[in-house]
Amino acid sequence: MKAARTLFAELFPFAVAVAIWQALAMAGIWPKVLFPSPLEVAQTFAADLASGVLLVNLAVSLKSLLLGFVVGCAIAVPLGYLMGLSRASRNFFDPLVNLLQAIPGLAWIPFAILWFGLGQGAVTFIIVMSVFFPVLHNLLTGIRMVQPVLIEAVRTLGANRGDVIRHVIFPATLPNLMTGIRLGIAFGFRSLVGGEMIASTDGLGYAIFNAQQYFQSARIVVGMLAIGIVWLAMDRLILRPIEQRTTMRWGLVREGLEQA
Amino acid sequence: MTDLLVARNVSKTYFDTVANDNVVALEDVSLAIRPHEFVSVIGPSGCGKSTFLRMVAGLDKPTAGEITVSGRKITGPGADRGMVFQEYALLPWKTTAANIEFGPRLKKLPKAEREAITRRFVELVGLKGFENKYPHQLSGGMRQRAAVARVLANNPTVLLMDEPFAAVDAMTRQHLQEELTAITARERTTVLFITHAIEEAVFLSDRVIALSGRPGRIVADLAIELPRPRRWDALVNDARFAAYRDELTRCIHGTKA
Ligand SMILES: Nc1ncnc2c1ncn2[C@@H]1O[C@H](COP(=O)(O)OP(=O)(O)OP(=O)(O)O)[C@@H](O)[C@H]1O
Ligand SMILES: [Mg+2]
Repeated sequence: MKAARTLFAELFPFAVAVAIWQALAMAGIWPKVLFPSPLEVAQTFAADLASGVLLVNLAVSLKSLLLGFVVGCAIAVPLGYLMGLSRASRNFFDPLVNLLQAIPGLAWIPFAILWFGLGQGAVTFIIVMSVFFPVLHNLLTGIRMVQPVLIEAVRTLGANRGDVIRHVIFPATLPNLMTGIRLGIAFGFRSLVGGEMIASTDGLGYAIFNAQQYFQSARIVVGMLAIGIVWLAMDRLILRPIEQRTTMRWGLVREGLEQA
Repeated sequence: MTDLLVARNVSKTYFDTVANDNVVALEDVSLAIRPHEFVSVIGPSGCGKSTFLRMVAGLDKPTAGEITVSGRKITGPGADRGMVFQEYALLPWKTTAANIEFGPRLKKLPKAEREAITRRFVELVGLKGFENKYPHQLSGGMRQRAAVARVLANNPTVLLMDEPFAAVDAMTRQHLQEELTAITARERTTVLFITHAIEEAVFLSDRVIALSGRPGRIVADLAIELPRPRRWDALVNDARFAAYRDELTRCIHGTKA
């Protein structure tokens, strides 16, 4: 009963959006190629799913995204803690990071193609560059916000530096790290789609780009929706459960501020 | 009996980077505390009470003079000097039990022993039934008791407390004060307690040290010879309690003028 109600609450906003979309499409204000209807999109979705092309493109894109994300985090997270915990490394890396931070991931495409050739290698590289900075930046913010009194308290309980890092700094920075990860994935998606359009011959981004060449506007929407659905699934199946079990349970982060 | 905690000619000067000036927080403070003594430090706001406590904890260094505990000079924080902070400072990601168990866990005590200690201190501070709650699910007074239990469970040689009851309501405060005197009497803990409430200092202490306004200097060192266990209902109308309170009030106001 409760599960059914949750599912309804989840689906309701989508139902409303689709209804408005269908009504607008039926009103016939714009030509079909500029404004495909939900029905058409659903048909194309089903066809591409049945032919396997959607899943193949999805698999290609997800592989690049995950690889890029893992590599980006594998550099950003240790570097973030290093910069946060050592003044010397902060002084060294901070100017470099700041110089590179404003450069969009997509700006790396020319070099990515020169270095890795056309294909998912180049795409993965620009995803790494896109994931890296939001993760690092948010982690550094999190480290700066750790309450000194918590560190002092555990020090007077006998904690050494390693204990402080493990029992205070890691958990205290988790809310910001999660924000960084969310932004990192979101930026990664942007670069994925843009990168595949320019530097690749498969994946969801390429499929969207390709559909545009043939005026298959419903197929464009299918590609966009696939990205949205993958993100939603990641959020609901992975990120949220992690937060519910950690930062929300600890009272560091709330669902919202409706009591305000 | 030999002294447990000794401060010799301790001064602390902060450099105010904004005003580009030195601030003398504490000047030439010397005192000695015997084992099992409950000593309170009172004084006006800004006179250097917290500064002194933080130096004993090893979180700040004296500009001049030295502080020793059990004959050893303090060079940094350690489990022998547990501190209860005014802001509780419980770890939000640990349950009440895990917070209390934290010190014994750092000491790598065996699991069974850790659990026994945790159970004992959870009961001692009346938090039974709240072991698995996180700090944000506790009331202010409960958090304060958990913070006290966490430090007591670590069995420190000296218990340092910085205005721990300032943020709780008057009724809870009296209750916590009675609990604290009972617990520290039973555990024979040496306590250095900071407050700006004179009655609280008299109620809890074997000795009350009064500091002058900034820079803080010792202006009174008064032994409180009231019988233990102490209870508010008995002491509230006690003439000796009132006499101590009035004497300390005079000391503090005398220095203000
Ligand atoms: N980190 C610091 N940097 C500069 N000045 C400081 C610092 N910490 C404390 N002071 C100054 O030292 C003096 C004593 O501060 P302290 O916190 O010890 O006072 P206190 O007696 O605990 O006061 P209160 O009762 O208000 O808590 C104050 O004038 C304060 O401004
Ligand atoms: Mg203070």
